[in-house]
Amino acid sequence: MDSASFQFVMFGLAAALMSNLSRSRVWRSIVLFTASIIFFLQLAHSPFVFLPMAGFLLLGYIGLVLIERGWSKSTVWSILAVIIVYVWLKKYTFLPEGILLRSPYFTLGLSYIFFRVLHLLIESGDNSEKRHIGLGAYLLYTLNFTTLVSGPIQPYDEFARDQFAHDPIVMGPRTVGLQLERIVRGFFKVNVLAMILHAVQEDALSQMSQPLPLTQKLFSAFRLAVAYPFFLYANFSGYIDIVISLARLMRVRLPENFDRPFSASSFLDFWNRWHITLSTWFKTYVYNPLLLALMRRISSVALEPLLGVFCFFVTFFLVGIWHGRTSEFVIFGVLQGGGISINKLWQLGLTRGLGRKGYKALAKNPIYIAFGRGLTFSWFAFTLFWFWASWRQIDKVFNAIGVAGWLEVWLAIWLCATAVLAIWEALRAALLSIKTSEGPVLTNRYARVVYATALGLAAFAITFLLNQPAPDIVYKAF
Amino acid sequence: MKEAKLPGRDWILIPAISLIAICTILTSTEWVARRTFYSTGNPARYCMTQDLSTGYRGIPNSVCTDKEPETPLIEYRFNNCGHRTTMECEPKLPGNYRIVVVGSSVAMGWTVPEEKAFAALLPAELSLRVGRRIEVYDEAFPGKAGSPHNVALRFNDVLAAKPDMILWLVTSWDVENAVFKESSSEVLPDKTRKTSFLARVESRIHEALARGSIAEEILDLWNSHSISYMTEHFFYESQSLYMKSFLMGPKAEFLRIKPSPEWKEYLQQFDSAATDVEGRAKAAGVPLVAVFVPGRAQAAMISLDDWPAGYDPYKLDNELRSIVARHGGTYIDILPDFRDIPNPGQYYYPVDGHPKAEGHAIIAGLLAKELTSGAVPALRLATQSQSIQEQGR
Repeated sequence: MDSASFQFVMFGLAAALMSNLSRSRVWRSIVLFTASIIFFLQLAHSPFVFLPMAGFLLLGYIGLVLIERGWSKSTVWSILAVIIVYVWLKKYTFLPEGILLRSPYFTLGLSYIFFRVLHLLIESGDNSEKRHIGLGAYLLYTLNFTTLVSGPIQPYDEFARDQFAHDPIVMGPRTVGLQLERIVRGFFKVNVLAMILHAVQEDALSQMSQPLPLTQKLFSAFRLAVAYPFFLYANFSGYIDIVISLARLMRVRLPENFDRPFSASSFLDFWNRWHITLSTWFKTYVYNPLLLALMRRISSVALEPLLGVFCFFVTFFLVGIWHGRTSEFVIFGVLQGGGISINKLWQLGLTRGLGRKGYKALAKNPIYIAFGRGLTFSWFAFTLFWFWASWRQIDKVFNAIGVAGWLEVWLAIWLCATAVLAIWEALRAALLSIKTSEGPVLTNRYARVVYATALGLAAFAITFLLNQPAPDIVYKAF
Repeated sequence: MKEAKLPGRDWILIPAISLIAICTILTSTEWVARRTFYSTGNPARYCMTQDLSTGYRGIPNSVCTDKEPETPLIEYRFNNCGHRTTMECEPKLPGNYRIVVVGSSVAMGWTVPEEKAFAALLPAELSLRVGRRIEVYDEAFPGKAGSPHNVALRFNDVLAAKPDMILWLVTSWDVENAVFKESSSEVLPDKTRKTSFLARVESRIHEALARGSIAEEILDLWNSHSISYMTEHFFYESQSLYMKSFLMGPKAEFLRIKPSPEWKEYLQQFDSAATDVEGRAKAAGVPLVAVFVPGRAQAAMISLDDWPAGYDPYKLDNELRSIVARHGGTYIDILPDFRDIPNPGQYYYPVDGHPKAEGHAIIAGLLAKELTSGAVPALRLATQSQSIQEQGR
């Protein structure tokens, strides 16, 4: 029940139904807490496996209480302690084997709990206004089953605003209909679309190691590189669609995590649209403080833009390495940080060369945007090799067609992505321009009913009747 | 703040739109599926007859056609003895070396044209390598009629063809159905029988009530329609999806390192049938060569040289080698040769599972290679001059 399964959806809907039996915040909190505990208990056979996570939560809460009681020095120590214990519990590969816990324990959702706990500690340390977060609210926020497995990372204030509101947010038939439609869409993305894309990627990967003619291998390499970003998007955003809707049905608004990422025309823009809550968290708690600290120390105006580039690199390097415990993710981090900082340098260079007006005009040019979009997609697809593959697999796929072969493949990906994504954007804009007085025809409730019915029917046929196993939620592992 | 009210008509309109969408999608897809993946019914009803003791056999000098959902229209032509083979049922020509093939559907060339089946391709391949005329007479029958037990029951027919060698093609299906005995009740349903829509609905409701499970009834209903076949076909075009689905199912039992007790029993039954078949061949003084032909999942595992923990694509092959060798037969091994065949899954029909014509060509090539590698003394590789002579004939 830990992924976007039918059981999980039914469990979430049952919890939402229970939650709506009363508008009282106490009742809704009891339901959310009970559902979260049941959700946990469904995932493990023995309560002992939760002990390390319980210890982690306790450590965070002690830090929080100390900060709230005015022990300002404890903020830094609490943050450090939480980071160290997190790294230890996650068994990062640079740690010596001897210091790690040997008995199996539960870590699902630990990364997202870590973000929430750090957020609470930092905000409580910074907050001039005294506020108190009780143990119940703390556990409700950190263990909320809708955000536990793979986010989104919701700020505490937003959570508290909806969860503890005396007058909870409205929910009528329109909202319920929209959320059910989104659940169906998410279920289809995870269980059908992601499964098909994963199969395309796996088939292409297996063909790379077979004695096939070079042209066939080039085509396999193309499919291998292109399928994974779409798979990851369908897999992750589908799950997020489901949990956002379930939370909304429990009268809590979770933040959006995706905003059509493949329409981004630059890598900087891409990270504003992909895993938004993660990049926002890192920008808030790494980029901004780091930039401020550096600007305080280095007062040169000429160096100021370069400090921003450096801070971008550090921030997105950390975003990259957060994803995994192995050395592949260090390269993934370097490629994320590198991509972002080169993109920033390119912007700075063009602004300097063309002037601010000239750069703005260029940035609005549809051809520039289209090629930028294609390049952004290609770069992201390239970096993802260090996300899904082991060094052995990377070695195998890169040696399969050689350097010249890969150059041809990446050029083809860039050009195809440029053309296909531009056509898609134009088509989408054209379709959405067909409007009635109520808005675009394709997004009205009747069109949505047809759309959701078709997706639901396909998902039902493939998941239940064909019994096809969908791949697990990728971000669950982080 | 309150949410804007939904117009009253929407409470009727939205479910109605949803229902219409479901009906439209299902009927249009089923319509497309029926035109693309249609079946003409089982040819057994037209040119095969059932012998209660030994199962189905071809009606002598008959011909019929069949189209399975994934296959083209295939002609099944039976000779004067009721066998689907390129030769008439007559004594071999002097100097020729005759191989009689036994087995089930794969051995018979089910779902491929006769001239493209491995048995039709093998003589040319072998003759070229051996330098003498080799003829292959196919006495295999589809389905349970070709099961090992029935191969033993038909053995007099096999010997009547005066073979110099008997080639027994074994598949995992043959092992699983080693002792199947054809019964008169085992008749394939007549798909041409027409009933009214209402009668079918009524029958479905009765079946669901009798069974007490709506879920199973929905699954049966789905499986009885072409839309199900079409969906499976497109999904199983992908090797990885096919593999996952296959390994989850009961048919993958023979690939498991620790098979179920049921599968162990199948192996024992096969052992017993093999004792019978090999004993009869030995008594007649005819060498018997057995070969195991892999299914799609097994071929894919071998080709990738990678398989999930708990599975071994060579396990059944090793067990069969030991069984065949124990009873005095010769076993030839074509499985390792699948390592050099890229993406072998494309040579099988995705849902039906039988090899396509290209798959039969590969099987013929591998059989020729292994049969002439020294395992069968009479089929040793010829010198170059012998081969040239043979080519000249």
